[in-house]
Amino acid sequence: MRLWKSWIVTTKDLSVFKKNKYILYSLIALPILMGLLVPVILIFSLQAEASSATQTQLADAATILVNLFTAYFVVIAAVLPTIIASYSFVGEKLEKSLEPLLATPTTDGELLFGKSLAAFIPCVGATYIGALIFVIIIDAWSITSIGGFLVPNVYWAIVMGVVTPLVCVLSVEANVIISSRVNDIRAAQQLGAFVILPIILVMVLASTVQTFPLVTLALILSGGLALADVAMFYLSKATFQREEILTKWK
Amino acid sequence: MIETENLTRKFGNLTAVEDLTLQVNQGEVFGFLGPNAAGKTTTVRMLCCLIAKTRGKARIGDFEVDRENDCLAIRKMVGLLPENVGLYESLSAYKNLDFYGRLYEVPLQKRQENIERLLKLLGIWERRDEAVGNFSKGTKQKIAIARALIHEPQVLFLDEPTANLDPEAAKTVRDFILELKKEKRTIFMNTHNLDEAGRICDRIGILKTHLIAVGSPDDLERSTSKRKTVVHLESISDAVLAAVKKLNVIKNVRTSENKLILDMDNPEQDNPQLVRTVVKAGGNVQFVTELRSSLEDVYLKLIREAETQ
Repeated sequence: MRLWKSWIVTTKDLSVFKKNKYILYSLIALPILMGLLVPVILIFSLQAEASSATQTQLADAATILVNLFTAYFVVIAAVLPTIIASYSFVGEKLEKSLEPLLATPTTDGELLFGKSLAAFIPCVGATYIGALIFVIIIDAWSITSIGGFLVPNVYWAIVMGVVTPLVCVLSVEANVIISSRVNDIRAAQQLGAFVILPIILVMVLASTVQTFPLVTLALILSGGLALADVAMFYLSKATFQREEILTKWK
Repeated sequence: MIETENLTRKFGNLTAVEDLTLQVNQGEVFGFLGPNAAGKTTTVRMLCCLIAKTRGKARIGDFEVDRENDCLAIRKMVGLLPENVGLYESLSAYKNLDFYGRLYEVPLQKRQENIERLLKLLGIWERRDEAVGNFSKGTKQKIAIARALIHEPQVLFLDEPTANLDPEAAKTVRDFILELKKEKRTIFMNTHNLDEAGRICDRIGILKTHLIAVGSPDDLERSTSKRKTVVHLESISDAVLAAVKKLNVIKNVRTSENKLILDMDNPEQDNPQLVRTVVKAGGNVQFVTELRSSLEDVYLKLIREAETQ
């Protein structure tokens, strides 16, 4: 596979997304909102406890809550591809631009990888921007209230560095498969949202587990996601074939 | 340049193209005529390595269609204008062409030169930075043709290049195809437009799942019915009619207003004798013209015959 060919497709898709205000605003709004809203809620709830708790108790409570809310950024990484990946594939179908694209001297794998990368990069990037805002606000509060930084910690680093991109890849691949079966961007987004529900459920449940070390849990989850990514990759590759696209895609 | 032998494609129980054997020479403009669902687009897609064949053989230049390694080489040497232009509406004309130029591996400087040359040729250079979505259908079609030519392909496949265009835009596109013809590119064109095919194409193939007929527009017009000679007279007298009927070379004669309509086996050889006879019998000849089937007549006749078989 020639990665430079895929990169040409990626940069083109990114240019198309940049021109689409709906994609742009949707992509930015959710992570920024979560980046601002989550720490504010978290700080308010901790402040309420601050008067009756020692600094150690406050720090423990803050750590639990921060770890719990970190899971929401994984959810963002799962949700965003439903917006962007559906545009990437269904948008091409609607503009009927897939046939000339498929007629170029590129392989199915190069096209799929390029388009997936174009969906992956802005989604993970936007998630990280939201997470960065979260970290800045939380640490600004924690340095003054409990005398140290709460994030990044090992669990947070694994979730943001490994789990988030793996979840994003899974969501992108799921959206490739969905996009091959529908002709409408909204239908693709709705189905995409339905598909990522189990991911959200797993993340929320995992973040509430108290009896198991969180870091181990995050590593186990990463392993499971990596396997799911590989399986979904083969499924999406089987869907994204010239013959299939031109004769069977709706 | 393009060669097929018993090329067949089936979709489940449906046969889209069957036993297509065809040869298109280098520099030739070949028109593919046929009704909807005749298999024209399927043929183009097979030849462009977009879909697989069910059986048979096809070659583009030295490369075998459907052979994994040859397909990339074929896609590199052919340009495709699909039925739907499929441009990126939010990107500019320049960026659309640049994107495809990069995918076709055209070096930067050559790419810039080609984009400028093509857009200038099509009269869009001044609007190169405008989003394609702002352009008319005809202009989009021109950009799509430019896209198919960005890598200077040896073979160009055009699927309904003037479909849905207004007469003026259709003429611009037709003129552009004629320009390409001068550059000696091999052009394979699917069309419903018989008049266009007759004017542009060196040879025409009529397809309805099977290849029904192939030949130059002239050959096809001559092949299905005998040509007739029409003698326009000031008036038709009994003497003229009797003299003409006596000629051995005349197979049949009928009149219509002041015209004699005559069937002959070899009009090129026998028309001078006919004219002499008419004049000698006192007829005042105004015009002598040829009446032959139009491409439309031929097409409809062949398609109907194919449907009844």
